[in-house]
Formats: sequence, C-alpha cells, structure tokens
Amino acid sequence: MYREEKVKKLLRAKMGDLVAGLLTMAIGGFILVESENYDLGTLKNMGPGYFPMLLGIAMVAMGLWLVVTAQADTTGTSSDPGPSLRGIACLAAAILAFALLIEAAGMIPAVGATVFLASRANKGMSLRGAMVLSIGAALASWLIFRVGLGLQIEAVSL
Amino acid sequence: MMELFNNLALGLSVAASLKGLMYCMLGVTLGTFVGVLPGIGTMATLAILLPITFHLEPNFALIMLAGIYYGAAYGGGVASILLNLPGTATSVVTTFDGYPLAKNGRAGVALFTTAVASCFGSMFGVILLALFAVPLARVALQFGPQEYFALMLLGLMAASLIGSSKPIRALVATAFGLTLGLVGIDLNSGTARFGFGLPVLFDGLPLVALAIGLFGLPEIIAYAGHSVRPQATAREITFRSMLPTGDEMRRSTFPMLRGSLVGSFFGALPGTGGVIATFMSYALEKRLHKNPASFGKGAIEGVAAPEASNNAAVQSAFIPTLSLGIPGDPVMAIMLGIMMVHGILPGPNVISGSPDLFWGLVVSFVIGNLLLLILNLPLIGLWVRLLSIPYHLLFPVIVAFICIGVYSVNFQIADVLILLAFGFIGWGMKRLRFDIAPLLLGFVLGPLMEENFRRALVISGGRLETFVERPISGSIMAVITMIFAWVFVTYMRRLVRERVSDSAPKQGI
Repeated sequence: MYREEKVKKLLRAKMGDLVAGLLTMAIGGFILVESENYDLGTLKNMGPGYFPMLLGIAMVAMGLWLVVTAQADTTGTSSDPGPSLRGIACLAAAILAFALLIEAAGMIPAVGATVFLASRANKGMSLRGAMVLSIGAALASWLIFRVGLGLQIEAVSL
Repeated sequence: MMELFNNLALGLSVAASLKGLMYCMLGVTLGTFVGVLPGIGTMATLAILLPITFHLEPNFALIMLAGIYYGAAYGGGVASILLNLPGTATSVVTTFDGYPLAKNGRAGVALFTTAVASCFGSMFGVILLALFAVPLARVALQFGPQEYFALMLLGLMAASLIGSSKPIRALVATAFGLTLGLVGIDLNSGTARFGFGLPVLFDGLPLVALAIGLFGLPEIIAYAGHSVRPQATAREITFRSMLPTGDEMRRSTFPMLRGSLVGSFFGALPGTGGVIATFMSYALEKRLHKNPASFGKGAIEGVAAPEASNNAAVQSAFIPTLSLGIPGDPVMAIMLGIMMVHGILPGPNVISGSPDLFWGLVVSFVIGNLLLLILNLPLIGLWVRLLSIPYHLLFPVIVAFICIGVYSVNFQIADVLILLAFGFIGWGMKRLRFDIAPLLLGFVLGPLMEENFRRALVISGGRLETFVERPISGSIMAVITMIFAWVFVTYMRRLVRERVSDSAPKQGI
C-alpha cells in the first residue's frame, strides 16, 4: 500500500514535466504523420514534407527526453496571480462576440459587446459601470478607427 | 567619412520631417507609457499596434514602432523603482537597487539616473549601429544560404539555450514555431501544408493574431479577474530631489559605459537580448565593485549599469535585423514582419536598397532618445499618477482594440478566432512552463530557414557537410556546438548537485 502511494505522489509531482513531454510527443507525432502526406523528396531535392518531418522527429525526441528526465518540480508557484476561470471565460466570450458581430452587426455593436463581456471578468465591476464603459468604448473606437484612422469597417450594419 | 555624412543628412531629412517627428514622438511616449505599466509588455503593444502601422508608410511605421521599443526600455525602470514591479522583463534587475533607493527617499535620484543611463546606453548602441551596419551588410553579401541558415540556427539556439531557464522546453517551442511558420502553401511545390482544407490558411497563419494571442492575451488574462492593484509609494518628486550627488554621478559613469558594452554585445547577437544583458551587467558591476555588499541596498551603480545595458541592447538589436535580415529577438521579428508586408525583403540589400528607411531610422533613434531624456524628467509625476488607474477599467477596452486591430489586417473573421485559439495556446504554454518567445522567433524564421536549408543542399548536391566546410558557416556551427556543450555540462552538473542535496528545489528542463 505504502509503495503505491509513494509512486502516485511522485507521479503527481512530476506531472508538469510529464504532461509537457507527452504533449510534445503527441504534437510532434502528429506533425510527423501529416508531413508524410506531402512529397518528401530527398536531401538533394527536398520536397514540402522533408523539413516538417525533421521538425516532427525533433519534437518527438525532445518530448521523450522530457518524459524520461521528468523531475518533481518543487520550485513552487510563481508570484504571478494565476488567471481566474471567470476571467478566462469572459475574455473568450468577449472575443467570440466580436468575431460573430463584427460583420453581422458592425463595429459599434461588436465593440460594445466585447467590452461589456470582458469587463464582467472582474467581480468589482458593477453592471451599470460595465454598460457605461461599453457604450463609451464603442463610440470611442468609432471615432478613433473609423473617423480618425479611416478604417473601412461598418459602424453599424444590420 | 563623407559617405557617412551624406547618409546622415538623408536620414535627417526623413526623421526631422514633420511626419517623422510626429511619429517618433508618438512612439516614444506610447512606449514609455507601456513600459511604465506593469502587465502590458513591449511585445504585446507592438503586436497590438502592428495592424495600424500597415496603413502607414514603412519609414514612419518603423520609426514609431522602434520608438515604442526603446521608449519602453526607459519606462520599465519607473515601475521597478516605485512599485518594486518590473514594467518590462528587462527592468527586473532595476528593482534590486532601485526599489531600496526609493524606500530611502531617493526615488527621484534613481529615476533620474535611469533616464540618463538609458539615454547613454541608447546613444552608444546607435553609434555602433551607424558605424557597423553598413560594413556588416557588405560582408553579408558574400553570404550564401549556408551562412544564413547557420546564423538563423545560432539565433534560435542562443535564444533557447542561453536565454531560458528551461532550454529543452524552449527548443520545443522553437520547433513548434518553425512548423507553424510553414503552414500554408509551399512556394516551391504549390502544396498546401497543414491547411486541412481551410482556404483561409493558404497564406499562412496571420502574424498579428498569433503574436497578440500568444503574448498579449495571457498577460491580460493573468491580471483580468483580479482587483489586486499594488499601492504606489507616490511621493512628490521635485526636480531638485532628482539630482544625484556629485559622488554618485562620478560612480555611475563607468558602470554606464560597461553596461552599454555588455548590452551592445548581447543585443547584437541574434537570439540574446536585453534580459540577459541586464543580469550580466549587474553581476559584472557587483563583482568589480569595491564594496559588493552595498548592492541590493541602493547602490547607484546597480541602477545605472542595467539601465544603460538594456537600452544599448535594444538599439544594437537592430544591427543584425537591418543588415542581415536576422531578427535579434522576437520584437525584431515583428519589425521584420512589417518590412515584409510593405514589400521590403530584409537582408543586406535593405540598407543599400532603401537608404532612406535605414538612415531615417538611425537618425530617428538619436532624436527619439533625446526626446525621451527631455520628456521623461518632467513627466515622471504623470507616470506615477498613471500607475493608479484601476486595471479593470482599462483592460476590456484593450481587448476590444485588439480585436479591431487583428480584424483590420485581413478583414477576415477567422483571424479573430485564430487570435483566441493562440490565446489559449499561449496560456497553456505558460501553465506548462514553456517559453513563448522562441515560438515567435521560430514562426518568423520558419519559411526562411527551410528555404536556405533547401537551397544549400541543392547547391551542394545533398551534402550536409557543406554547412561545416564553408569557413563562415563552419565557425558559426562551431559556436553553436560550444553553446550546446556548455549548456549540457551545466545541466549535468546541476543534476549531480541536486542528486547529492535532495532538499534543494528542482527546476526541471
């Protein structure tokens, strides 16, 4: 029992290196496989698949090295405040909103939505504050980009 | 000599024009602002402003972007001194002695020294640039694809091996970046690589979306959900209080000089840059000082040297970029990206082919640095006040501006989605302790490296030995091998030491 626990604990501590290594090997392997679909050619006359193949091999090799030499990372967490899940979700939503709205509805709705959603990331931001900020930012961006810089994006297109 | 004079005159006509001055001013002010603000780094800002510069003439675009780059090198020290929070990665070292100086009520002196040292370092770098870029470019004309490949390899290796605490991971990031750079239609064969049938990827991945996604978004997210704002020790900083004592001024001169030398060296070497330069110059000053124990408690030398070195590094990073077309660091990679977008193929012919671009830039550096010196001193109070704007108001607007910027490059929604995707990739990489900068370097260099590698092998008939046979590329390869060996030995030694003392914290690779 005790031995099992020890192994589990060790694995978890090495998790960082292990995941990094396995992920690298996976991506490298994918690159390798994909590059086989292109004409490889020879060293003298390299085809489109040759260089990617080399890169894929390199990544697999390095990934393997990471896995094999995985060390328990005990340096602890960095002083950076980690991102909150709420922050990530709001940011992703904000950018998605922009992508969906910019051509369908125009710059002003898109910017308004983006700013509103992004500002929700912070719990300290009131709903009214968010609305004010979004409207202000939407107008400001219209002024700066459309009027000021002459960017060819529709302000409102419905 | 006469030639140099003529060139400088040409540069002056570009840089001192109304537009030139305007964009220079805009760039350096924006740069200082960005450097002062902890959180948004130079990389993120440049990436964000990239799309706007597409609509400008290349001369002015580069003048402005360069201004942001070295402007940030000035501003970074401010937050380091006042908040103990580095504004840029190259200002970390400034916190060591800058913050103690501030705590002792001598923030003004530290800030003044930062400004002067930065100007000194920059001027030093610019002089080197003006003197050496042209001869270097001439030498480079004899370069064949072997030399270019070797140099690019050196840059990538140096960036991963020297500039990183986790070299293997950095190498992985480089390899991944190189592959990403190959996405799109291969010009040689017409095959669409890694496109998965998506026509939007035929032209390759958009640099802007990738750069901002990788660098800008993770930085923004890291501070997003939190309302933590460190308190500034905002004190009234009068001009009188900023002047250092005569003794301090004397003690700063040689550190500034040495810092500039160290900075120029690492700046010009492709792959290494300001971060290493600042640490090295701090270590050098400490070792040379009569009283090393005074470092860390407010030694003026500990502020003057790193600040000079990071500015010198920033300016001399332009040397390989402009004369060889090989980016010294990821920021330079972005500059190259801009040049390519405007149809200027980077390489030794840039200087001779577009002398107004090159010399305009050089003269704008001089003007910009002088502007910074004059502007920064009175503006310090403003920066202090600026550091107290709540972040949660600023960042949503920044996100929107980023989206606009990314979209405006190709007017493709897909680019915005790619931005988001790379935001996640960048975040994931940070979580797994991968360096991101090598990825960008690899991305920009990918197609170039493949092209040169291919050509070298075609010319030599498939013989890999060609890289070592030619004298220049051979010596570069030797340097790369030496770096590898040194890193390997250091790693092995560390492994042994950690085995012996099992209680020490371990870093992983």
